[in-house]
Amino acid sequence: MNYHNVEILFVEDSTDDAALTIRALKKSGFTNKLHHVINGAEALDFIYCKGTYASRSDKEFPKLILLDLKMPKVSGVQVLEKIKSDPNLKSIPVVMLTSSNEGPDIEKCFELGANSYIVKPVDSDKFFNAVKEIGLYWMILSQSPH
Amino acid sequence: MKKNDSNELIIANRKIAFQHQEKENRAAELIIANKELVFQNEEKENRAAELVIANKELIFQNEEKENRAAELIIANKELAFQNEEKENRAAELIIANKELAFQNEEKENRAAELIIANKELAFQNEEKEKRAEELIIANRELKNAEDDIRKLNDELEQKVVERTAQLESVNKELESFSYSVSHDLRAPIRAINGYTRILVEDYADKFDTDGVKILQSIINNSKKMGELIDDLLAFSKLGRKQVTVSEIDMTDLLDRVQEELSFEDYENIPEFNIGTLPNAIGDKSLIKQVWINLISNAVKYSKHKIKTSIEIGAYKKDNLVVYYIKDGGAGFDMQYYDKLFGVFQRLHSQEEFEGTGIGLAIVQKIVHRHNGTVWAESELNEGSCFYFSLLSVNH
Repeated sequence: MNYHNVEILFVEDSTDDAALTIRALKKSGFTNKLHHVINGAEALDFIYCKGTYASRSDKEFPKLILLDLKMPKVSGVQVLEKIKSDPNLKSIPVVMLTSSNEGPDIEKCFELGANSYIVKPVDSDKFFNAVKEIGLYWMILSQSPH
Repeated sequence: MKKNDSNELIIANRKIAFQHQEKENRAAELIIANKELVFQNEEKENRAAELVIANKELIFQNEEKENRAAELIIANKELAFQNEEKENRAAELIIANKELAFQNEEKENRAAELIIANKELAFQNEEKEKRAEELIIANRELKNAEDDIRKLNDELEQKVVERTAQLESVNKELESFSYSVSHDLRAPIRAINGYTRILVEDYADKFDTDGVKILQSIINNSKKMGELIDDLLAFSKLGRKQVTVSEIDMTDLLDRVQEELSFEDYENIPEFNIGTLPNAIGDKSLIKQVWINLISNAVKYSKHKIKTSIEIGAYKKDNLVVYYIKDGGAGFDMQYYDKLFGVFQRLHSQEEFEGTGIGLAIVQKIVHRHNGTVWAESELNEGSCFYFSLLSVNH
């Protein structure tokens, strides 16, 4: 598998949310540069070029990380903490995706340095729009030091 | 007779001889007496001289006595005066004495009274001692009771601690419940909604008209369910939210609410008529939500009218400010008033006026959390007026 030129790292354990998000991104034209991993541990493997991703070049960083909050094993918060405390990675924008605004995590995420925090809308219209806007904003409008 | 005469003569002679003798005796005696007299004279002269001296002495003494008498007169006068004084004094003393006697009597009476009083006191003292004993007993009982109460209190406190812990754990459970409700229930509904939309967007040609309609219904219903879940969560969150009160500049708050209002295409842009709004004490963000909900309702329920006029005002009552918002919209039947503020209770159909029925429940919960009251008056098709009270600033 080709892990080069990955621009969006998408970390999501829910197959349905992943399918819907990927479709929304595809419709907005971001799909070919997207890599989907299904848990936090795999996300860290990808970032640090370990395990399955040992062959990946550690010189390449994704432009954007979409990170689901609630995942088994390594949670989104833990992944976020790892990324934002690493001087090489902390400038990568991380957008937290979550199913609810009920969790105690919003403040914590921002404290750790999350760049945005999106509650996935039930209404698919709004959901698709939200995903499209995230892609547009972070991939095109926002300037990163990388 | 002659013899007698001679006798008489003899006798007379004799007598004369005797007398002569006598006279001689007498003369001798006289000489002696003379001598004696001379002596006595001498003596008397001596005596006279002595008397002169004595007289002088007497004169002197007399003078002395006169002086003394004068002095005595003065002293006497003085004594008389003193005497008078003493008499006066005596009179006074008599009066004083009488007074003293009277006082004495009084004192005796008094003493008698005091004796009685003393007896009374002694009796009372005894009573008091009895009483004191009783009090000591009562005190002991009280102390026991106090100990009991303290013990009960401690137990109660322990119970409160336990109950609080229970409540806290229930609250935590509730929190994690609402978290999973919002997280776990929303996810499948989002999937249903999203996949159905994909069907409509990408596979519409595979369905006939009825099929597409059904897909649309699935989308609408799942969307609705998402809204219900969100509303329920917002409502339960409200109950847990800390209310932080301060003075609210109500005019300013209303300005901001008006600026933030957005309207659907089918809704009239309302004409606002806003009166003087005194400030009140409350949680600004929560009270803002109250106004947003009430104004949104006024706009929503006026959408079938030609225009939407909203009157907002306030009046002071005791230590409260009562705010009101009046519209000329659809109104409601007052016989269903008890359902008005219930969660998910609706007095209109979804087709007539959309909504989940959470707005007024939220309004009521917020006002209640401010210890205020909310109520409404309405006439069907004429409009409604909603009131809510908050603590005024100068209460």
